[in-house]
Amino acid sequence: MSEPSDDPPGAEHDARPWHYDGRNGNRWRPILAAEGDGFRLIGEGWESGIYHWADLTALDDPAGRAVYGLKGEAGWRLGFDGSPPAALSVYLPTASCYGGVFDRFGLVRAATVCAVVAAFVLFIGLQAPGWIAPYIPRTWENKLGDAMIGDFGGRICRTPQGIAALDRLKAKIDPDGMARTIEVANIPMVNAITLPGGRIIIFDGLLQQAKSGDEVAGVLGHEIGHVEHRDTMAALVRQLGLSVVLGGFNGNVGGYVNGLLSLSYGRDAEAAADSISITRMRAANISPADTAGFFDRMGGGARKSGKAAEAMTWLSSHPLSESRRAAFANSAQKGHVYAPVLDAEQWQALKGMCAGDRDVEKGFPRLF
Amino acid sequence: MMMDDQQGSAFGFEGTWREFAPIAFTNLLLTIVTLGFYRFWATTRERRYLWGRTRFIDEPLEWTGTGKELFIGFLLVLLLFGIPFLFLQFGAQILVLQGHAPLAIGLSFAAGIMIFYLAGVARFRALRYRLSRTYWHGIRGGTDEKGWIYGIVFIALTIVGYLPLMLAMPWALMTLWNMRWSTMSFGPFRFSASGRAREVFGRYLLFYLLIVLIFVMLGSLFATMLPRMNGAGAMTPPSASVAATMVLGIVVLYLGFGVVTLIYYAKYMRVAIGGLTLGDLQFSFLARSKAWLALILGDIALLICTLGIGYIFLSYRHWKFFITHLEATGEIDFNALTQSTTRAPTQGEGLMDAFDVGAI
Repeated sequence: MSEPSDDPPGAEHDARPWHYDGRNGNRWRPILAAEGDGFRLIGEGWESGIYHWADLTALDDPAGRAVYGLKGEAGWRLGFDGSPPAALSVYLPTASCYGGVFDRFGLVRAATVCAVVAAFVLFIGLQAPGWIAPYIPRTWENKLGDAMIGDFGGRICRTPQGIAALDRLKAKIDPDGMARTIEVANIPMVNAITLPGGRIIIFDGLLQQAKSGDEVAGVLGHEIGHVEHRDTMAALVRQLGLSVVLGGFNGNVGGYVNGLLSLSYGRDAEAAADSISITRMRAANISPADTAGFFDRMGGGARKSGKAAEAMTWLSSHPLSESRRAAFANSAQKGHVYAPVLDAEQWQALKGMCAGDRDVEKGFPRLF
Repeated sequence: MMMDDQQGSAFGFEGTWREFAPIAFTNLLLTIVTLGFYRFWATTRERRYLWGRTRFIDEPLEWTGTGKELFIGFLLVLLLFGIPFLFLQFGAQILVLQGHAPLAIGLSFAAGIMIFYLAGVARFRALRYRLSRTYWHGIRGGTDEKGWIYGIVFIALTIVGYLPLMLAMPWALMTLWNMRWSTMSFGPFRFSASGRAREVFGRYLLFYLLIVLIFVMLGSLFATMLPRMNGAGAMTPPSASVAATMVLGIVVLYLGFGVVTLIYYAKYMRVAIGGLTLGDLQFSFLARSKAWLALILGDIALLICTLGIGYIFLSYRHWKFFITHLEATGEIDFNALTQSTTRAPTQGEGLMDAFDVGAI
């Protein structure tokens, strides 16, 4: 490893490197004299100590010059305009381009491996919540649900007659007690939600829109399907996982993707919940016709717009599609005599529960 | 070394988009296949190119930051912002539903202030990080301040700026700019920043002129609709021409706001950078409103023509714009330009990243 020190390479004028010592801004043009496993820099009236080749780091210079830094010496630079002298090139390191791993394996190979891993991570990320959720103990889920929701900010409607009607509905559609609670919230939105811990909340807006107790029973059956399959827990796990995985993206992109993917339980889960609803209605001898009518009314505008509506069902949390209406309509047995789940009085009691409860809070919970 | 005005600009950008394209496209590819995690290293590669192709007098600048630093900065953000933000998103709602509304409002307020404060600190630390990683002639910049005090001043001045119908905003912003830069140094020299808000105030008033115009428009619209009211107070549906006027009004409103912002910002940058000195160096920025407009229209055209892929060239365009309009005059003594003794930060501008605001 020794070069003759009396005849330093790069002694010719044009091959001399330029040099910054990192202590002041002067640009030096020293002679590089190789010595042992390192070299000295010799300028006019000064001479550096010995630097080791192994301490040099190659820097990627966009202007195409060969530039080297020194470990532990910020700002220390040694550079050649053009390529360094051939005699030195064996000692000089090469620059990193894309960063460690990518340089070692080459861009194409590393990118391909990454793409496969990324696809796998995304797939697992989307599927795993469905696998994990059933193993989370119900007691944990119940505690979580209660902690998150409490009494819904005092928005749960209660009248003795209304509760009696709800109990009747529950006995019919959920005889095995899959849902822990079924309640009505004083919120004017046409919706029903399943919260962690098997808590189903029907919004008053839905009751006002509905034509009969049978219709509400169909919606309830659907939500019980979500409880049975633990879709809420899966969605929570998915949201948690995605926010970690997509954290790498710019805030916005990650947020949108996350929102889109976690908003819904997924089409399969919705269809599964529908089929549970239909089975339960059949077992309870409740007509599915009214629930079909409900979808018909809700999707009235959408059915006219055809393809666009179909595409939109991928995005909405409770897709209102023609196929869902048809599933309920077709499950009705011709000539079979169904019994209404609630009589007229019970239905009115349920529908009027929120109006009749004086203590209930109004509107959707908001912070400010 | 003396700088002669005859030599042309002290700053020059010598990059080409052809050289930049391979960097931009491979960055995009690697960012996608790593689900975004490469972007810290992508930013670093981009900066190494842009800095290394920027000539100041006789030598290019050099960017010495690393992807790892930016990544650590990002992790810090997750910790510092993530916690107040998560609380704002979920915790507060849970508390309200549990019936603890006052506590929720109090804690949300605290979380909001915390985010506000960190936003100020972030702006300071981004500038500090960038200067500490920028080398020229083997010398870097930096500051020993950490930005904690700046964060408090940021909150105070922003509130003061908003109070008198937002009229004091130019003063607040310019004061913050001057405070930020006055603590920074390059080598042994401290920057001094003396931009005066008075000079940008005239253009700032254009915002108020715009608001007056909007009210005049609304007034005339209302006046045309008034005769349509019949005695019972019922209104006939607005005619097509009224609807068209409203749409046109909204478009004019957005465009007007954009143009006024641009006119104001062009002047602001000229005044703010024009007030900067470093040792015997005096900086100036020459971009006028017309140049800014060309930049923005160029950006829009690029994005539309490339269906959005041109996004990866925006940083290049903006840097080139900044450097080609940047000027410096004065003298540098290389013997006196000794290494900075400021402590270099160990993590990157993660906070700034979270807010997506420019560092300068």
